[in-house]
Amino acid sequence: MRIVLAGKLPGAQIVGLARDGAQAVMMFKAHQPDAVTMDLTMPNMDGIRCIEEIMAINSDVPILVISALADKATAIAALRKGARGFLNKPFTEKQLVAALKEVISDE
Amino acid sequence: MNKKDISEVELRVFITAVTEYFQALAGEPAQVRSAYLGADLSVPQSYDYTGLITISGNYRGCVYFSCRQVLLRRLLVCMGENDHSESNLLDAVGEVANTISGNARKHFGAALEISVPVTIHGPTESIRAAVRARPFVITIDWLGQAAIVMIDLERLV
Repeated sequence: MRIVLAGKLPGAQIVGLARDGAQAVMMFKAHQPDAVTMDLTMPNMDGIRCIEEIMAINSDVPILVISALADKATAIAALRKGARGFLNKPFTEKQLVAALKEVISDE
Repeated sequence: MNKKDISEVELRVFITAVTEYFQALAGEPAQVRSAYLGADLSVPQSYDYTGLITISGNYRGCVYFSCRQVLLRRLLVCMGENDHSESNLLDAVGEVANTISGNARKHFGAALEISVPVTIHGPTESIRAAVRARPFVITIDWLGQAAIVMIDLERLV
């Protein structure tokens, strides 16, 4: 995914890759990125909790959730917590770029 | 507590998730070679790499995806990833298992709770411990490479 983003979003820079929710929050504080992509099924801290934590730090940051969890209730829960978009796995390169552009343009 | 195995219709949810995964990622769907109720598997069938998801909530069991290294390397190439390190191979097999299981929630709903994937290289006791005697087995072929999806799922009624 990072390769697609780097190649298809000119000017975008990947400032951090976290392996779990707790690390994502720490990295968010350290790097203050302009946008976040996030899975929901993560060790240590799940994605819903992670969205809450990030929103508490900066409620303006656009978060695109990218998850295999395909039920509507999960997508709605993520959006209610503050995520700007929800993309189901599996996805094509085109869908990923379109979804990310959309959440960023909502700013 | 009453328990009930999943139905044939529910099994098809997983079959669809498997074929669509490869279609979306590589433009080439996986071909289902067979789908059957497994025999008494004291040692469940698996290949070199396995991604195992445990299921909880209103259901209990596990789902795993297992394949050879060459299939994972092809998957990584399709993702534009040229780093075929052990870490990335394990991430890839876990991602397939996660996606297949997560997509099944379109049918089962959020009451099908899925774990973070456990990824394994080589045979391990954790597969044997996780799978019951008679799981559903889906064998697939993608770009000439065989893989297996094992579904051991029961609804807690």
